[in-house]
Amino acid sequence: MLGALIKGLSTTFKYLFKKPVTVEYPEVKRPVRERFRGRHELKRFENGMERCIGCALCAAACPSDAILVIPAENNPAAPNSPGERYAARYEINMLRCIFCGYCEDACPTNAIVLEHQYELSFYDRKSSIYDKSMLLVAVDKGHGEIPPVLQQLNRRPSPPAQIDL
Amino acid sequence: MPDVNVIIDGKSVAVPPGTNIVDAARHADVAIPVFCYHPKMKPVGMCRMCLVEVWTPRIDPATRQVVMGPDGLPQMALMMNKLQAACVTPVSDGMVIKTTTEKVKFAQRGVLEFLLTSHPLDCPVCDKGGECPLQNLTMQWGPEVSRFDYADKVHFEKPVKLSDVIYLDRERCILCSRCVRFQDDIAGDSVLGFDNRGRSWEIISKSEPGFDSKFSGNTTDICPVGALTNADFRFRARVWEVRSTPSVCTHCSVGCNLTIDARQNKLMRIMPRENDTVNEIWLCDKGRMGQRFFESVTRITTPMVRHNGKLVESTWEDALNRIASNMANIVERSGNNAVAGLISDNLPNEDLYAFRKLISDVYGSASLDHRLGLLTDVSIDDAPLQVGVGRDTNLMTIGKGTSVLVIAADPEEEAPVYLLRLRGIQSRGGAVHVVNSFATKLGKTASSDTRIAQGGESAFALAFLKQVVDAQAATGFERRLRGLDEVRQQLAKHSLESLLATAGISADQLKKVVDAYMTASNSIIMYGRTALQIGAAVTQNLASAAMITGKCGKANNGLIALTNGANTIGATALGIRPAKGGANANEMWSQAEQGQLRGLFIVGIDPAGKSERVAQALEAVAKHGFVAVQSMFMSETAKRADVVLPLMATAERDGTITNAERRVQRFRTATAAPAAMMPTWQVCATVAEYATASVSNGRTAVASGWNYAVTSDVTDEIASAQARFAGVTYTSLDLSINSWGRQTNELFYYDGTSYSNSEGLGVQLASIADDSNAPLHTAAVAPVVYEPKGEFTMLMQMPVRAYDGGEWSTDSKLASRQVTAHVVLSVADASRWGIAIGDLVALSSPVGSALVRAQIDAGLAEGQVLLPDVAGAPTNLALGAYTRVSVRRAE
Repeated sequence: MLGALIKGLSTTFKYLFKKPVTVEYPEVKRPVRERFRGRHELKRFENGMERCIGCALCAAACPSDAILVIPAENNPAAPNSPGERYAARYEINMLRCIFCGYCEDACPTNAIVLEHQYELSFYDRKSSIYDKSMLLVAVDKGHGEIPPVLQQLNRRPSPPAQIDL
Repeated sequence: MPDVNVIIDGKSVAVPPGTNIVDAARHADVAIPVFCYHPKMKPVGMCRMCLVEVWTPRIDPATRQVVMGPDGLPQMALMMNKLQAACVTPVSDGMVIKTTTEKVKFAQRGVLEFLLTSHPLDCPVCDKGGECPLQNLTMQWGPEVSRFDYADKVHFEKPVKLSDVIYLDRERCILCSRCVRFQDDIAGDSVLGFDNRGRSWEIISKSEPGFDSKFSGNTTDICPVGALTNADFRFRARVWEVRSTPSVCTHCSVGCNLTIDARQNKLMRIMPRENDTVNEIWLCDKGRMGQRFFESVTRITTPMVRHNGKLVESTWEDALNRIASNMANIVERSGNNAVAGLISDNLPNEDLYAFRKLISDVYGSASLDHRLGLLTDVSIDDAPLQVGVGRDTNLMTIGKGTSVLVIAADPEEEAPVYLLRLRGIQSRGGAVHVVNSFATKLGKTASSDTRIAQGGESAFALAFLKQVVDAQAATGFERRLRGLDEVRQQLAKHSLESLLATAGISADQLKKVVDAYMTASNSIIMYGRTALQIGAAVTQNLASAAMITGKCGKANNGLIALTNGANTIGATALGIRPAKGGANANEMWSQAEQGQLRGLFIVGIDPAGKSERVAQALEAVAKHGFVAVQSMFMSETAKRADVVLPLMATAERDGTITNAERRVQRFRTATAAPAAMMPTWQVCATVAEYATASVSNGRTAVASGWNYAVTSDVTDEIASAQARFAGVTYTSLDLSINSWGRQTNELFYYDGTSYSNSEGLGVQLASIADDSNAPLHTAAVAPVVYEPKGEFTMLMQMPVRAYDGGEWSTDSKLASRQVTAHVVLSVADASRWGIAIGDLVALSSPVGSALVRAQIDAGLAEGQVLLPDVAGAPTNLALGAYTRVSVRRAE
């Protein structure tokens, strides 16, 4: 009996002097893996234009029907995105989203990327719907890089996305 | 000729001689990919996608005999020793076609690789994406990769606006010429063409304004790529996101089948739905792009009642109660006929039936009409119900041996899709003879185009009847004819010479038309608005001619009347017309002026907006009695009402509608109404229920039999109560059969073109002539003569314009195409009065005068004046189909 007690306590004492594996969340946050799929962001091109062209292929690929895209025609004098079309409305229901990343795969311009932010909680269902203003990154952010997935595979994005990559 | 036997990919199939290989393969369930070929058009072999191996029995040049091989079978030879374009190669006996050999696959991959060299691959932003033959064919037959450099693509500025409604993307165009051929061969508007050559080869519009055709929307359907897109649907949604609901167009009497594609309860686009007996696979631009009116923000959505002289919003219960109690009180105080009803003939059968039941059964009034009550109203025409085209008529199947007489009608403006159908009859070898007082588009390409004098329609009709009666041999139809002796007596009163002089044609011209009509195995007479305005003098004479010749009561023979409304035939059949002792719309306004008419229920029409006199009469009724109006918009009529109810759009409800060929078709609910609304049949049922509650004497009948829960309850009651509608139920209307060429591989032929019809082809009502024992009442009616009166020497008529700027054009992309008010004069008259194009002209008739801008048409005869019946055109001049007017230049 004593032997068993010592055996158990030895494990306890062993860990007493080791660095703990847990962190003091939320004060301390662990970095996520490079390919972690968190909250979506809508990226921009280097010139500040939206990458999203409103093609709604993300919505078509989405298995949980979480994405709504309402397209519209670009004003040629002040276009939102390259080409004729842009997303006038872009919404993701984060409660419906299962973070599978199919939207990212479907996107022909690498506009939608599942980033590393995972702290998603809401006081009501309405606020779980993220609209375009919440999803779209700032003008000076999120452009140019080949997505990590493609970098690892040593591949370039599909042609329409090469516009300024 | 016997069928030809061919073997396609090992499957033996027998097809009629002359069939091309693509169509023959379809019968064997073999898909040969095509871009330029379209089953509705002649093949041209431009895209080379349909290359196949064609093996034919080897012929010995010396003996002209088939060379037999050692196995006893004919030796086969590859035709021309190379691949053949299947769309331009007709089948021959013993042919063996191989579509899956390596050689064919190599060619198909090559063609697709070439087609894609210049294609921008912008499928994500392309409206065709998802229903694009180029996408589909590339997926199934194309190469996996291209050897061409992506950066080497030729780019053009995009898009080019061919017109306000059709945009061209030259990068995507594969130059198949489907659009050009559709415009040339089917629509007859040769407004598209090719320009330049080589890599600059492109489609251009040759007309001013651009792409000036009423059928331009169809080119976007048949375009096998996203080169031609519809501005109405541009970037509204992806095609897989929309929910399609089968519906029927209510813009004219054709009753085209269409699909309402909606997303999130908003109309995205209108697509044609195939129905061989109605619109084949086509749709006119008015039907396709003039359907956004019901989503207008200006629509009435809540009931309104007059309170202290002002219309204020109210509840349905209050509004309907007011109608019920007020109408009942009027009936009680002033008699049954003090109440009258006017209802639009665009509304479905159910509404018309319930409305008639309310007005004549509950209120006991005989005053009921579907017309506006203007002097230019059409007559109520029973001819289509008597001798309209026989049951099982299918204009798509007839050609050789068919003669269509189009008289006093302009099908392009009145019922645009009939133009395509008539041109189709002609292209299949039939004859179309046009008789009209002014040039029409149909006339330009018709077999004959006879220009009659203005106002000569009735004289022509009587001369036609006279010739027919004189020339007619026994048909075996005589036992059914009634009144033939009176017809002969009446005809004897008119000499052919005087009739021809009034009609302004020669005896030869008449003989040609009569001969064509009498000798053809299928003869159809089509007449339009002018004929209906003149009335029996045209319609009865033509109907009598159809009866006497026996050209009625059988398929593909009879009359087609291009009626004003989409459901005029239904309104006529269901009794939306003055009964015995009742007033018609015109008489209602006279009664209103005299204070006899106290209660008026107007549904779906705006007579006050068309005539100042009617507006005043309506105000008189509202002042001394009660006016209820159900209307979609705050029209002039609605503004004068005591109670205004919102009207539901076709897209927001279900029901059935009867077209010009008496085909009853069903439409379904596509979008939800902007607010809680009731269709008219439900309004009538509720008013009848409330009326029963408030009834105090025997004058208002107690409502019974108003237990309708859904629209089909009314449909079923019509089917049981109206002998003519027997068997017309939602179940029978939903039956459809496999249509032309729809085979397992339809995807590769018709993608995006139209939707196959699995939702019902409708049921054609029988005409009286269809019943082989029913008597047919013939009559001859003396022609109408328009004598000049004093200074009023010119003869004016008000032809129909499809783009008339009516309520339907609200929010439509066709806004710029709407015809503005103008008057058309002949060159002689214009020069006599010193009038140039665009000058302001003072028109006067015995009843009014107005100022209108002038247009000059070299095709018009001296003394001829056309005042197109569009929004903004003066309505205070006309006295009927024709009016004597005077014209001078306004100072």
